[in-house]
Amino acid sequence: MQHSYIDKYWDLESPVHKIDPRFKIIGCVGFILFAIFTAPTSFLTFASYGLLLAVLIALSKVPLRFILMRCLVIVPFVLMVAMFIPFMKKGQFAGGYSLGSLKLTVTYDGLFIFWNVLIKAFLSIMALTLLISTTKFTQFLKALQRLNIPQVFIMILSFMYRYIFVITDELELMLRAKKARSIGGSRWFHFKTLSNMLGVLFLKSYEKGETVYLAMCSRGYNGDIKTIDEMYIKKSDVAFLIIMFSTLSCIRFFIN
Amino acid sequence: MHIPDGFLSPSVWSIAWLFSAGGLAYCVKKVREILKDKMVPLMGVMAAFIFAAQMLNFPVAGGTSGHLLGGVLAAVLLGPCAGAIVISCVLVVQCLIFQDGGLTALGANIFNMAFVGTVVGYFLYRVLAKVIGGAKGIMTGAAIASWFSVVLASSVCALELALSGTSPLKIALPAMAGVHTLIGIGEAIVTCLVIGFVLKVRPDLIYNYQEEK
Repeated sequence: MQHSYIDKYWDLESPVHKIDPRFKIIGCVGFILFAIFTAPTSFLTFASYGLLLAVLIALSKVPLRFILMRCLVIVPFVLMVAMFIPFMKKGQFAGGYSLGSLKLTVTYDGLFIFWNVLIKAFLSIMALTLLISTTKFTQFLKALQRLNIPQVFIMILSFMYRYIFVITDELELMLRAKKARSIGGSRWFHFKTLSNMLGVLFLKSYEKGETVYLAMCSRGYNGDIKTIDEMYIKKSDVAFLIIMFSTLSCIRFFIN
Repeated sequence: MHIPDGFLSPSVWSIAWLFSAGGLAYCVKKVREILKDKMVPLMGVMAAFIFAAQMLNFPVAGGTSGHLLGGVLAAVLLGPCAGAIVISCVLVVQCLIFQDGGLTALGANIFNMAFVGTVVGYFLYRVLAKVIGGAKGIMTGAAIASWFSVVLASSVCALELALSGTSPLKIALPAMAGVHTLIGIGEAIVTCLVIGFVLKVRPDLIYNYQEEK
């Protein structure tokens, strides 16, 4: 079965893939913070951030189309905020339209708010997509742990990551079986069947969790998990971080 | 309801992060007291289950489909603290893998769905289940609580957006809550049916079932 949607391009070979995940995470978070704390009017700054990302994406060999497709997840939210723009009453008048008795006006302030959230969300998502698609997820979690994220969460997340595939497989099998055995049927019938399916899936997962726990116990598990850490800081990683942050600061302070 | 980066002002998302981090630390402590070393594998597998459950689409009116959010479902089955941890893990993975919700807004998303949605929803369920009583109480309680949890979480989301100056409260709140009253109906039906199924097959897996009876 297909599960390639999770960290799909991690096995490509590129300079970006080779950077230590910890440095990539710091770089990515730094980029997002820089983007978020930029004034909405500094168009040139946003363009430069975009350019920086474009260079990194080009270096990473991850298809641009894939990253842009991923950015579509913000569409519902953007539409929602766009819907509210006509109701922003403050600020300079930019244009208006009337629907019968309801008169709606669009102000520059409203448009600015819209532009502001749109560009920031877009840049952040691109950065995050690049980070995830150039890093193996297990490596990513390990890096988070080295960055002092509490171990419990890392352990739960890595278990979750491991079992997402198993449980999704289980669900896909059940869905296929349902499809093979039912034609048409009322909406209520489907609701009922799908709900029962989720119930079965819950029981299977719960029992799987207990089995896994027992298997771990029989192998000497006593509450803490030891993993082999083979992360070494290379010169190129430090160089990446220095270049990244100096570029970001240059863009921030000298452009505009 | 997954807020992307840039939609919240720094003060809102940083406070939300603080609340969520504190809440999660408390939940981990609580759950560890009950489950001990069983916690990590069980929470991991359950988070994977909710993640998979959210991928299942249910037919809604007019050819569209919706999916389960699972906050109250997780809480009824596992308890409020474990439920909050599981939902938070799902949100983290969704944020990282599907970019569904931003990194800075993750704190707010966890606050909305894992704490307002799941924990508040759970206490509503408890009260209802106690008042009505029996298996019927559990099912009705779960249904009503899950409807409320969806509406409540979306209202808090609208409130956060308004506090950040992204959208005016007077419009955003009714719009968000309005849309989610409809989404909540599907959530309520599915949660109720799944709980009903588990009640029939393995009632011992419902959190605090003995007390409820």
